[in-house]
Amino acid sequence: MSFSVARALAIFRKDVLELRKNRGLVWSMLTLPLVIVVTPLGVVWAYVRNPTDSGVKALALYYDLSVDLSNAARFLVDKVLADWFTIYLVMPVFVPILISSHAVAGEKEKRTLEPLLASPVTPLELVVGKSLASLVPSVAVCLLAFSLLCVGVDVVAWPLAHELVLPNRMWAFGVLVIAPLFAFFGNGVAVLISARVGDSRLAQQLSGLMVLPLVGLAAGQFAGWLKAGLGYYALIGALVLLLDVAIVVVARRLFDRERLMSRWG
Amino acid sequence: MHGIRVEGLEKRFGARLAVSGLTFEVKPGEVFGLLGPNGAGKTTTVRMLTGLLEPSAGRASVCGVELPLRDDGVTLRRKVGLLTEQPGLYDRLTARENLEFFIRLNEVDHASAWALARGLLERFGLGGREDEPVGGFSKGMRQKLAIVRALVHSPEVVFLDEPTSGLDPQSGRVVRDAIAELAREGRTMVLCSHNLPEVERLCSRVAVVKSTLRTVASLTELRREGLALDVLVEGDAARWAPALEALPFRVVAQAEGSRLRVLLDSEAQAPDVIACVVTAGARVTAAHRAARPLEEAYLELVREEADAS
Repeated sequence: MSFSVARALAIFRKDVLELRKNRGLVWSMLTLPLVIVVTPLGVVWAYVRNPTDSGVKALALYYDLSVDLSNAARFLVDKVLADWFTIYLVMPVFVPILISSHAVAGEKEKRTLEPLLASPVTPLELVVGKSLASLVPSVAVCLLAFSLLCVGVDVVAWPLAHELVLPNRMWAFGVLVIAPLFAFFGNGVAVLISARVGDSRLAQQLSGLMVLPLVGLAAGQFAGWLKAGLGYYALIGALVLLLDVAIVVVARRLFDRERLMSRWG
Repeated sequence: MHGIRVEGLEKRFGARLAVSGLTFEVKPGEVFGLLGPNGAGKTTTVRMLTGLLEPSAGRASVCGVELPLRDDGVTLRRKVGLLTEQPGLYDRLTARENLEFFIRLNEVDHASAWALARGLLERFGLGGREDEPVGGFSKGMRQKLAIVRALVHSPEVVFLDEPTSGLDPQSGRVVRDAIAELAREGRTMVLCSHNLPEVERLCSRVAVVKSTLRTVASLTELRREGLALDVLVEGDAARWAPALEALPFRVVAQAEGSRLRVLLDSEAQAPDVIACVVTAGARVTAAHRAARPLEEAYLELVREEADAS
C-alpha cells in the first residue's frame, strides 16, 4: 500500500485549520489544562503559607510515619506534586479525545466522508493525518500546561523550598515520555470508537470513560494506598505502551475504505 | 481515452443483495444516465465504480483501471471525480480552503488546478466568494461548489449524483449548461438522477436500474421500446378506452380530452387499435404515432410488475 506524506499532511492541515476555527472546541480544550495547573498551585500555596501548622504535620504523618516533621510541608509539596501527575495524565488522554471525536466522527455528521474517501487519500493516510492533527495540539497543550505549572509551583513554593521544585526527574520523564503515550492512547481510543459509533458526542462520551482508571489511581494515591514515583509511573507507561500497540493492530484491521463507507456512508 | 465497461457487477451487504447483473458500457466523452428509483442501487453502483465499495461479483474497468481493485485504488481515484448526493463541504472553511484541500489530496499542480477552479467558480456565479466560509452559502451555492470540487483535478470520468438536486431553476440551468459544456469538451460523465427532463436533455444513453439492470438504451430507443399511438376522436375520448379490452393483445390507454393515447408493443398493432375504436362507434378524425414521454418508458421499466418478471 502506498503512503503519501503530502496527503497525510493535507489532512493534518485541514483538521488543524478546522480546529482553529472552532472556538468552542478550543475553549473546552483549554479549560482542563487551566484546572490542572491552578489546582495544585492552591494546594502547594496552602502548605507553604503555614508550614508549621499542626494539621500539615498530621497529614504528613498520615502518609509517612517516618517523616521528618520539621520538613512536613516540603514533604507534602513533593507528595502532592508526585500524586498530581496522575491527574495531569487526564489531560493527554482527554484533549485528543475532544479533538479526534470531532475530527473523525464529525466527517460522518457533516457528510464529508464520502467525498474524502473518493479522493486518492488512503485509510492509513487518513488515520495518520487525523491522529497528527489531534496529537500535535494535545502534546503542545500538555507542554504549555507543564511549563505554566513549573513556573507557578516554583514561584509559590520558593519561600519554603528556596530551590526549583519543578521540573524534577519524575515529571520530566512523565511529560516527555508517558504523556505522549497517553495522548496516543486517548487519540487511538477516540478514533476507534468514532469509527464504530460515528456520532461525535457519543464517541466523546464513550472515549471519556478512559480517564476513569486514572481518577481511580489518583484516589488510591491521595488515600495513601498507592505510592507514586518514577517506577510507579514507568510501570503505568509500559502498560499504556502495550495498549497503544493493541490499538494500532485493531486500527489497521478496522480502517479499510469499505468498512468506513458501509458504516459511515 | 478510456470509458467505463461493466460486466455482471453485483454488490451484497451481508445477505442483502443491493444490486446485481449490471452490464453496460459508457463510451469516452459520453454523458450516460443512471436512472432508478430511491434504493435502486444507483449510489451503490457509483461507489463500486469509484472504488469506494468492492464488488461482490462481476468486474468493471473505469478509465482503464480494473475493478475489483488490485491496489489501493489511488490510480483510479485520481482519474475520477465524484459529486456525492450531499455536497459534503467543510462549513468552517472558506470555498478556497475547501478546494485547496482537495487539490492537495489529488497532488495535482496547484497553480493550474486553482486556475481551473477559479474559472469554474466564475462560471457558476461564485467568483469573488472564494474567501467566505461555506457555512454561509445557500444550498445552490454549496452544490455548485461541490461540483467544482469534483472537477478540480481534471478527472477523466465524472460521476454526478443528483447534480441539480435542491437548486432553484436558474441555478439548475447554470449547472446543466456547465455539464453540457463539459460533455462537449469530451469528458465522460455518469449522471444519476430522478430528474427525467434533465436526463433527457443531457444524456445520450441511459441504464435503468432497480436492484437489477432493467435496460440500457439510447433515449430514442427507450421511447420506442413501447410505441405510442394518438387517436383523435370527436367528443370525449375516455368513452372509447374500454372498447380496447376487446383487442386480442394488451394495451394501455390514456384519454385526455378528444385524444386517446394508446401504448403499443409493436407498430403492427396500430391498425387493429384504430379499427377497434371505429368499430366501437367512434368518429376518428386523425391518428398518428406519438413520441412517448421518457417518464412513461421509465415508469414502466421500474414498476412493480416488472419486478415480478
